[in-house]
Amino acid sequence: MIDWLTNNAGMTGLLFFFSVFVIVSVWAFRPSAKQSIEAHKFIPLRPSQTVEDK
Amino acid sequence: MNTMNSTPNYNDDVVKLFTIATVFWGIVGFTVGVFIALQMAFPALNFGEYFTFGRLRPLHTSAVIFAFGGNALFATSYFSVQRTCRTRLWGDGWSKFTFWGYQIFIVLAAVGYVTGVTQAKEYAEPEWYADLWLTIVWVTYLIVFLMTLKNRQEPHIYVGNWFFLAFIVTVAVLHLANNAAIPVSLFGAKSYPLWGGVQSAMIQWWYGHNAVGFFLTAGFLGIMYYFVPKRAERPIYSYRLSIIHFWSLIFLYIWAGPHHLHYTSLPDWAQTLGATFSIMLWMPSWGGMINGMMTLSGAWHKLREDPVLQFMIISLAFYGMSTFEGPLMSIKTVNALSHYTDWTIGHVHAGALGWVGFITFGALYHLVPILWKKQALYSMRLVSIHLWIATTGIVLYIVAMWFGGITQGLMWRSYDSMGFLEFSFVETVMAMHIPYVVRALGGGLFLLGALIMAYNLIKTVRGDTVASTISDAEKAHA
Repeated sequence: MIDWLTNNAGMTGLLFFFSVFVIVSVWAFRPSAKQSIEAHKFIPLRPSQTVEDK
Repeated sequence: MNTMNSTPNYNDDVVKLFTIATVFWGIVGFTVGVFIALQMAFPALNFGEYFTFGRLRPLHTSAVIFAFGGNALFATSYFSVQRTCRTRLWGDGWSKFTFWGYQIFIVLAAVGYVTGVTQAKEYAEPEWYADLWLTIVWVTYLIVFLMTLKNRQEPHIYVGNWFFLAFIVTVAVLHLANNAAIPVSLFGAKSYPLWGGVQSAMIQWWYGHNAVGFFLTAGFLGIMYYFVPKRAERPIYSYRLSIIHFWSLIFLYIWAGPHHLHYTSLPDWAQTLGATFSIMLWMPSWGGMINGMMTLSGAWHKLREDPVLQFMIISLAFYGMSTFEGPLMSIKTVNALSHYTDWTIGHVHAGALGWVGFITFGALYHLVPILWKKQALYSMRLVSIHLWIATTGIVLYIVAMWFGGITQGLMWRSYDSMGFLEFSFVETVMAMHIPYVVRALGGGLFLLGALIMAYNLIKTVRGDTVASTISDAEKAHA
């Protein structure tokens, strides 16, 4: 296993990072999650901030 | 547990300390920068052994990157992580230790530079004893940040904190790997690096470029993702784009370092790899820039009225410009002309003065009235004056370096019909005199702007105010 990984480190790494990135992109942009993900953008603006922060 | 409507008791005392240190070290670093720029134009200004360009140059780079930039990152990360997690910063004593510990590191490093104690590694000059001390301080910073995240009352970790955390973790890894060294003696400053030859060069520029990528980019994007929405009173344009921005930037930046070693003994495939990843970085960089700028979508009039917001948006424009220019310069054929010339210095300063400097100034102008519980800044007119003086200074700086750097590159590669070099090296140095004078003038304007900011902030802390000069008619017209 280690020998195989050593010999194919470049291609394994490329596929691993590319796959993770594709999974993150699909996860972030899946239509059903649009509202719930975009709702996080209001965190800095929510009214529980101290008065002087506004 | 705090409810969403209560006000947590935030620890702003440590944020105040880091804010003061940011302004102080900024002025020190900019002043040394102007002085060494003058030394380049007028070499007679190299006095004695302690004030030569070779010793003052790392003093300048460390003062502006690690002292000014580092203190700004501590201040803004401690401020925003509390607000976005709705909890007090963990460990009052530990966070105060990070402040004093970090200032001790800065002084240790600075004393080393002027007395000739250096590892001679760019942006990693401090010797082993200072590196060990910084490791302790930095791990404490990581623990304070992580524990604050752990104690959060907000279920989701806001994206600005992802960038801050990536910055803290990656800088720790880079610092440990690049500074692995064996001291010659327990009580002596000298050490020898663990790495040698081309591996040492590769690790140095893996570190060096990611000091740019994670210290000067990811950390300051953390500032952008909190302070631009706060100042604009609008949420970030697209949260989903910010997620893609984060992961693509993190994955790509770490591979770009070899572009600093084009046409060296580094294997050719590694050079091409570095250039390829640098070019791919265009996308996340511009995605982040667009996300920040488009936050003002539907509220562009705020940009007309608020010079603090102007600082932030102009910083994003410089971010976009320098992250376009960087990949361009990493292309081998372009690099054959630009490498070792002052074009590189101009590129760095477009990012450092325009992006890092301006987003920090914007954050400071936003922070100071909040931290010292004042209604507003002393003078918005002075903010506007600072903005335009500093912008003029940056433009003078980068245009002078484009002109001078490309001139240098072209002179170095000019051959006559017999195949001899057309210019001696000293002729190329003499050709740089006027660009160096203009560069010093640009840096001087940037320093003048920072002094105006310091005056404005001191007056604000003292509680003085002057009336806004923007008329209602102007606002209505916007």
